[in-house]
Amino acid sequence: MTENNNLLEVYDLKVHFFTDEGVVKAIDGVDMNVANGKTLCLVGESGCGKSVTCRAFLGIVQKPGRIVSGQMLFRQNDHMIDIAKMDPKGQEIRQIRGKEIAMIFQEPMTSLSPMYTVGNQIMENILLHTGTSKQEARERTISLLDQVRIPKPDRLVDEYPFRLSGGMRQRAMIAMALSCNPTMLIADEPTTALDVTTQAQILDLMLELQYRYGMALLFITHDLGVVAEIADEVAVMYLGKIVERADADTIFNHPQHPYTQALLRSIPKITMKREELDPIKGMVPSPFRRPSGCNFNPRCPKAMSVCREIVPSMTQLGPNHTVACLLYESNIKDRKGGE
Amino acid sequence: MADQQKQEAVQPALEMRLPDTLLEVNNLKMYFPITEGLFARLKGYTKAADDVSLFIRKGETLGLVGESGCGKTTVGRCIVRAYTPTAGQILYKNADETIVDLAPLDRKTVQPYRKEIRMIFQDPYSSLNPRMTVFDIISEALKVNKMMSQSEMEDRVEYILQRVGLRPEYIKRYPHAFSGGERQRIGIARALVTNPRLIVADEAVSALDVSIRAQILNLMEELQRDFDLTYLFVSHDLSVIRHICNRVVVMYVGKVVEIATGLDIYMNPKHPYTEALMSAVPVSNPRARDKGVRIRLPGEVADPSNPPPGCYFHPRCRFAKERCSAETPVLRDMGNDHFVSCHFAEELTLTGVRMA
Repeated sequence: MTENNNLLEVYDLKVHFFTDEGVVKAIDGVDMNVANGKTLCLVGESGCGKSVTCRAFLGIVQKPGRIVSGQMLFRQNDHMIDIAKMDPKGQEIRQIRGKEIAMIFQEPMTSLSPMYTVGNQIMENILLHTGTSKQEARERTISLLDQVRIPKPDRLVDEYPFRLSGGMRQRAMIAMALSCNPTMLIADEPTTALDVTTQAQILDLMLELQYRYGMALLFITHDLGVVAEIADEVAVMYLGKIVERADADTIFNHPQHPYTQALLRSIPKITMKREELDPIKGMVPSPFRRPSGCNFNPRCPKAMSVCREIVPSMTQLGPNHTVACLLYESNIKDRKGGE
Repeated sequence: MADQQKQEAVQPALEMRLPDTLLEVNNLKMYFPITEGLFARLKGYTKAADDVSLFIRKGETLGLVGESGCGKTTVGRCIVRAYTPTAGQILYKNADETIVDLAPLDRKTVQPYRKEIRMIFQDPYSSLNPRMTVFDIISEALKVNKMMSQSEMEDRVEYILQRVGLRPEYIKRYPHAFSGGERQRIGIARALVTNPRLIVADEAVSALDVSIRAQILNLMEELQRDFDLTYLFVSHDLSVIRHICNRVVVMYVGKVVEIATGLDIYMNPKHPYTEALMSAVPVSNPRARDKGVRIRLPGEVADPSNPPPGCYFHPRCRFAKERCSAETPVLRDMGNDHFVSCHFAEELTLTGVRMA
């Protein structure tokens, strides 16, 4: 495994939430890998488990959720270490969280503390992970703020977050994430709360910084337009499982999973004039009452009777294209007999 | 009685510029005072809508776009008269072709128009009272307008529920029992129940997932055909606007910068801000990535309480000349249903949306 270029390899990750009403299988067997220096976009509707997946990578799944099983192998100094085995509150993961893997959250309003200056919050990370002096940390903070193109960084470093606009706060968050030269940056809907022109600025900035720092970028979003703009690879999630994974061009121009196809048909396109939209019928089922067999079968236009019985497994369609759908499995009959 | 009230409100000698117009907004101003200190000393005004003029044709869908803080919601709220505008006219044409200015009407005289101009809100979670049943929510407007008896109301609510794609049995349930998409359908039913003529939809699909968004957009188009509705569709999502609107109004810091038909505004923008806005929209095809021009606006949106002199957009405009910082441009008719507020609209060659 160590010969390839993967920074993170995830095998059969399961995160379940143990609530009073029952167990919610938020992540139910996810396999994925993030290549060094590449951008992977994780797409899906709300509640499909995309945010929980990346929280699992940092060991910050909120209670009553727990990583039930799976491996998350992260490359550190040329060997792979399993994040899933680490104590979420232990020293080991703290060496990775915020340093090797950094994260940007959706709401720039709520993810910065209103009680501390912007500079203070960025310096905290630098002081924690590197043994620099306060003076050096402050200088590094100012240079970071400059890199994310915040005007007058030497003055802004002492400002409180409420003085900054949404776009500026998201820039400050990016500066914070970059402060320890991470090898992987997780961005959870970083531009969803922003206006389109600001969104375009922030996306440009993130891609430029990724190029400069050689980071892997795991970008979580529900906006397929954003995915088309920035992704190298795309993983489509539905109800806690990855249903299709391929490079961006394949996903947009030759999608194979009925869910991916339906999702693309249901979005209005700016380049095309009014035609009737083709929505996905029904709605996402309740997390407590998941359908049997394939999760998507009640809404799927191509559902077969076997879809209610068999859980599809990942089928390889091309060198870099996998899909979890029974339409593409050749040995359904054998599996049906076996179960 | 409602008719009588309406009669009283009709002011004489009002005229609209174009014959098929349902609503015409002229020089609408909505200023919010900024106060300071214990005695609320007046410090200045936030000019949320400043000299906004637009018109809505009967049966069309007019899109109102712009970034947050540009005043698009304020304009929508002035039209439904949730706000009383500081100045300006809101001319509304009644079914009998008489014209009334809604702007100066008081609480009582505006009442009969409240059932004709309705609103759909953005957030399906906070816009429905959790303590009211679906029936109470939808029938509230009927009760206030004293339009019908209890049993008539029940029939009407059940019929409307069916029309928006919900089962009539749900009438006694509370909002918490519904998903986001279903709640938005309840919000639409609430707007529809009084047989309105104009609906202001303020970011009506922005909080919904893509698959649900498509369902609601289709529903709104279907209802428009069946109930002969006119929509003012306020949104920041340009792809949605492109899909649903006949004409589009672009706003920037409280001012209208451009009005044109859907195709024109996307393919042939005449204002530099519109151009930048269009080029910032992500195109959902990776093959379009390196095509076309990308304009990235420098700096941030101007502060509406302290806007720059001249054209509000000039500090961020790549074509700005001296005249732009001195003289405020006015909205000019360029022909072909195209209105632009830029001194140099004729001279500039701008590019529209990138095509895949």
